[in-house]
Amino acid sequence: MSLLQEERNIILNNEYVDNFDFAEVEEFVKNASKNLFISHNFKTKNKMLVQPRGGFPTYNKMFALYEFFVDADVDVLPCTIDSNTRLNDYATAKKMLRLSEENEVDMLNGFPLINHGYRTARKMMTHFDRPISLRHGTPDARLLIETAIASGIFEIEGGPITYLLPYSKNFPLDKAFLYWKYVERVCANYSKLNEPINRESFGPLTATLVPPCITIVIQLLEMLLSLEEGVKSFSVSFSQTGSMNQDIVMGAVIRKMAKYYSNQIGVDDADIHLVYHQWMGAFPMDPNFASQLINMSTVIATMVGADKIITKTNQEAAGIPTKEANAETVANTQYTLRILKGLPNIVDKEEEENLTAEVMAIMEAVFNDSADTLWRKVFNSIKNGTIDVPFSPHIINNNEMITIRDAKKNIRIIKRGKVPIPDRCFEYEKAQCDLTKDTTSIVNDIIHDIGIMQ
Amino acid sequence: MSKSINNKLLIDVGSTYFKVCTVHGVQQHFRDFNKDIFDDLTYKCGDIIHNYHKDDVHVCSSANGGLSTLIIGITNSFSLKYATNIAFNSGINIIDTVLYKEIEQTSIPSDLIDVVIVVGGIDSVSSIFDKKLFDYLEKINYSNIVYVGSEKEAPYLKENIENLVTLPNIITNKLHVEEENLKEYLTNLYQADIMGKEDIKHLYDITSNQIYSTPYIVNKTLPLIDSKFKVANPYILIDIGGATTDIHYSKDLVDENMVTENEYDRLVFKKLGVYKSKESLIFAAKNNEFVYELLAHLKVTENIFDESGEKATRILMQLAIFLVLCKVSTYRKAYVNLKLNALNSLVFTGGITKVLKQEEIEDIVSFFYKKILNSAHNPTIVMDNNYDIWTLGMNPEKN
Repeated sequence: MSLLQEERNIILNNEYVDNFDFAEVEEFVKNASKNLFISHNFKTKNKMLVQPRGGFPTYNKMFALYEFFVDADVDVLPCTIDSNTRLNDYATAKKMLRLSEENEVDMLNGFPLINHGYRTARKMMTHFDRPISLRHGTPDARLLIETAIASGIFEIEGGPITYLLPYSKNFPLDKAFLYWKYVERVCANYSKLNEPINRESFGPLTATLVPPCITIVIQLLEMLLSLEEGVKSFSVSFSQTGSMNQDIVMGAVIRKMAKYYSNQIGVDDADIHLVYHQWMGAFPMDPNFASQLINMSTVIATMVGADKIITKTNQEAAGIPTKEANAETVANTQYTLRILKGLPNIVDKEEEENLTAEVMAIMEAVFNDSADTLWRKVFNSIKNGTIDVPFSPHIINNNEMITIRDAKKNIRIIKRGKVPIPDRCFEYEKAQCDLTKDTTSIVNDIIHDIGIMQ
Repeated sequence: MSKSINNKLLIDVGSTYFKVCTVHGVQQHFRDFNKDIFDDLTYKCGDIIHNYHKDDVHVCSSANGGLSTLIIGITNSFSLKYATNIAFNSGINIIDTVLYKEIEQTSIPSDLIDVVIVVGGIDSVSSIFDKKLFDYLEKINYSNIVYVGSEKEAPYLKENIENLVTLPNIITNKLHVEEENLKEYLTNLYQADIMGKEDIKHLYDITSNQIYSTPYIVNKTLPLIDSKFKVANPYILIDIGGATTDIHYSKDLVDENMVTENEYDRLVFKKLGVYKSKESLIFAAKNNEFVYELLAHLKVTENIFDESGEKATRILMQLAIFLVLCKVSTYRKAYVNLKLNALNSLVFTGGITKVLKQEEIEDIVSFFYKKILNSAHNPTIVMDNNYDIWTLGMNPEKN
């Protein structure tokens, strides 16, 4: 028996798992409808796929949500997991699920997949014959991923960096890398049975003035960590920055770099996709303004040429959106995508060259780390500040990089910390900003820049 | 067995056993306490030892009883917590921690303390310590003292404390832990302690390599453990010995992590052992409200505490497992509370694996989960029956 299988046996020997049948799950994946695989949809649907977010605790409410989405012509269904499950606290999730079922009140902010069990969940996940994307935020997602795939969920979002630095204060990063290695291997193994399981990285990170070079480097590294374990379908992603030009440049550079670095590690048979998140920062309270913002995000996603767009709702600032609001966004986004024709092809050579140089310099520094494995090189690079995510709550993050918006609303680096971007790029970044102001004014500008869409 | 030990001889000197590991396997020998360690070892394993060059012999030891420390700090959240973590991971046993604002009300430890650690403040902070510290230090009996707090306080303390060693602050300006300097100092102190103990010093006749503390070696072993045993992270390793019980735990089992080099932290319970600390173990057991249910579950009465023999030892070991799990669970607020419901594996090493059967341990663990955590959780139990976990960490190339 392989080490991985030994570990799987231990992980799935859990009081909240009802007799996991590996052979039956393999058989299910082998014979599953191809429509359930987003990797298959990417290949066959000649359009940008539209996916909302959403998750409710009870089976019935989740099923009703999916019905709404299907009526709104959704391409990809979401399965957003509740916070207790994200923190591996299945006991509380179980209790809250029962309370939700008994009292018709949502006591969880998502779907507790593990407590429902894969046999029950599979009925729902396969019923609509559409791909489902797992949205969670879990550093240790081993049990969750096993349950998800067994349920018929064939897209797994997240990664050791993108699901840790924005979400966690002190979960050990080295452990997160090892747990996600398990996830990649499980996904890679199941990918041999039918269409590939798609892995998707979470590009928005903290959604707070993250400069493009940092977003892209982290996307590329999570992609490489996934590909080196044998994953054959991967989505890099990023969220709306606040500058249309910067988004378009990011889209171009991330595509180019993803191809370049996957070839660098000798992988040329994996499909790489691009996912665009509608605005992930603070939303305006006014639902009309929010709808305008969502619409603009859809336009930019088209300019970027994304393969998938992940939607927001006009209730974003007010709390957990209703299923009606979610379905409305899906329908509106699909409509906007249908009417967008004849968009110009915008290329900003100078910005692209600058961003490419920044990305390559950071990547080179990561690869030059003396560790013997890629994951440890990346781990060391985060620990020593080579990779620095603005506003990350995690104690391992260096938090020395400072960013601000220039007059055109591009995110610019004005203090690089230990991030090794070339001097000329750094000078270029700073030259776009007015740094003659006093410190207090700059701080006020940063605060304003964070809430730019409100 | 670790692949790296070809042509190497690994020796672990414990308080009750010698363990000798060659490429052919691990041998264990019960120690003769009437003999010098070196004489006893060479008498029992001389034939093996003579086949190896001094450079190829690697020794770790816990036979000197380990070092004891007292830590004086400013806050529980930073200075005391960080210093405690570094001390444990360096293989040092903590006698007590003193919160500086309560130093005048703190009882004076009677034992001789090997090293006092004074810590507090980030480098920009001054006027932290005053005469209260010196008065307290005068009353206690210690061999070494080290300061690892704000650099602004160092000259003042150096002026007033004899033989004070000052090292860089263990608390960075970002309130992160900087462990290397103190860790190195404590490891060297351990080494010096070994050098000072005649019968261990003698072991340098058979090795030219540094002798390390066994807990330090075990801690290095942990990331490699799944190459030998069927374990899944997160796990804890429990080493129940004659004098102390060590727990090495995966850091994702705690919420309050610090950034350190290792994936695992160590916690030691100084007075939870089945031989030298038998009395304090029984005392701790009698003070646990669940112990009588546990004894009933094991089909014995409290008279077992007055008995000796194999059965009594087995019961004591089972009690030790139960008590140590209690101490790190939410049931008792200890230095750390581990998220035991997230545990996938429990690894046992030490003398306990020679005495208890797998099912006896499983029984205690499930009793603990049902009784204390009200859970049917069932982590896998892994027994280090050959007592050779430590060989994985003694990779000479990395030491």
